[in-house]
Amino acid sequence: MESILEAREARWARKLALVGAMAEERDGRNASLAAITLRMPAGLRLSGSSATAALALHADFAAMLRGREIEPAREEFRIGGDGPESCFTAFLPAEDLKRFSVEFERFHPLGALADIDVMDRGGRPLGRAELGLGARECLVCGGTAAVCCAGRAHAAEAVAERVSRIVAAFERQPMARESFIGRAALAAAVWEVSASPKPGLVTPHSSGSHRDMEYATFLASAAALGPRFAEFARLGRCSAGEPAALLPALREAGKAAERDMFAATGGVNTHKGLIFSLGLLCAAAGRLEAAGIAPAPSAIAAGAAAIAEGITSRDLARAAAPRNSAARYAAFPDDPRYAGTAGERLFRQFGVRGIRGEAEDGFPSVLNIALPALRAGLSRGLSFNDAMVDALLALCAAVEDTNVLARAGRGGLEIMRREAALAAAAGGIATPQGRAAIEKMNAALIARNISPGGCADLLALAVFLYLLDSRPSAAGARFAAVESPIFK
Amino acid sequence: MKAKKQAVAGSLESSDAMVTIAPSEDAKVEYSIESIVIKQFGKRIRAVTEEVVAASGLEGVKVHVQDRGALECTLRARLETAIARAADRA
Repeated sequence: MESILEAREARWARKLALVGAMAEERDGRNASLAAITLRMPAGLRLSGSSATAALALHADFAAMLRGREIEPAREEFRIGGDGPESCFTAFLPAEDLKRFSVEFERFHPLGALADIDVMDRGGRPLGRAELGLGARECLVCGGTAAVCCAGRAHAAEAVAERVSRIVAAFERQPMARESFIGRAALAAAVWEVSASPKPGLVTPHSSGSHRDMEYATFLASAAALGPRFAEFARLGRCSAGEPAALLPALREAGKAAERDMFAATGGVNTHKGLIFSLGLLCAAAGRLEAAGIAPAPSAIAAGAAAIAEGITSRDLARAAAPRNSAARYAAFPDDPRYAGTAGERLFRQFGVRGIRGEAEDGFPSVLNIALPALRAGLSRGLSFNDAMVDALLALCAAVEDTNVLARAGRGGLEIMRREAALAAAAGGIATPQGRAAIEKMNAALIARNISPGGCADLLALAVFLYLLDSRPSAAGARFAAVESPIFK
Repeated sequence: MKAKKQAVAGSLESSDAMVTIAPSEDAKVEYSIESIVIKQFGKRIRAVTEEVVAASGLEGVKVHVQDRGALECTLRARLETAIARAADRA
């Protein structure tokens, strides 16, 4: 008892010192502090097992803050005499930090166990009542927590029982689900690049139209991105409220994923487009899982569209009138500083919305072209490899692939579409004529330096949705049942 | 017994209380009590506060309790520490 009370006094003093120090920076304007402690009986709070829950709360609180584009001025995690404690300071009005904290307590799977005290720069604690928010609910009976707590309304065993149920639920299911989503995403990325033949694209047997990357580059990239895809799913599960509010957090996770990709490939862009689109789908799948809704392809795609809503107008409006002014871009069209991303440049040049538009529209090319083609091939008895190749042909014949536009312009796009349509009409991979047409298409694309990377990404998305919608073992078993002889 | 100086014990964290004791001109003890559970436990908090201060023999002080839903044993401990500090015994 003595040591707990001393530890709390020490913590209080440290918190005052932290906000006090902030008051000297930037005149202390809008400085505030949030401290997370565990809301459970002291015996449990001081037991070693509580640290895992506290660390998860700390990491997720930090991630969600950054997701709102709030960079903590300082963050601390320590296990003191009163149990684990987290401290975050930010240059943010205390009211905003409190609202964020209350929201976090509500939606995080362990939020019920978090006690988040917020103070302003003067050390004044900010209560829920001041913000017109309802009082914190008791873990056991749902009444006012402070009343149950101060009056010891419930036996310690009853509280402990409730705590262990919340922790167990957190440790069991959601993690397994996230890693399942992450695994499906990783499998989708690997299976797509492993499919062969793929005209102009990297396969295990060919680097297609690429000179700076090969099959191994893609595998290294995919391996690096596996945990990142699980992270997108986790962010989706943790999010509450409007889907679009999740986008800033996903952008941060996306940037981290890109860094991992470039580190793994030695600076080659293998999966930048896929990080965006598959990241969105992973987050949408995570949200569905958290809500207990079956991850049907249409539901995941619609969820991703809701998260991406408005992204075309925001990102591409900026591209239409770039920060550095359209005039400067016109004067230095090759200067990357004025060019923005490939997608932004192509929107300026061709008015094509690319993967952003695809996402915002709910992935119509995936749902209406790639996934039905994949399923049709599998139900005709094709191996997964061959079904993917046919699905890719269907995509190449229909999609305005921005990778192709970027490398070969409108003319290149028309050639690819025509060749793909011919190969599909000739029966695709299942017939000798189809295979000959695919080979001809491959030669035509390589000759013009064309690589339908956008279509390849859409194919990976279709595979991902297929895997979440069915039993992966059944699909995996027949991946390489039919070896392709074409590029050997 | 007189208070030698102003003293504070506790914190404004949830489930804690902050007790401030300050010497006053007046001979008797002046209490001011705030609590987030004043409706449910206000009387009890005042009774405990008066009891602990009386037992200490402290006089001529202002006792300010800011309660954030502390357990009774926590409140007692915070009061005793604040009194000891005010009397320069801690």
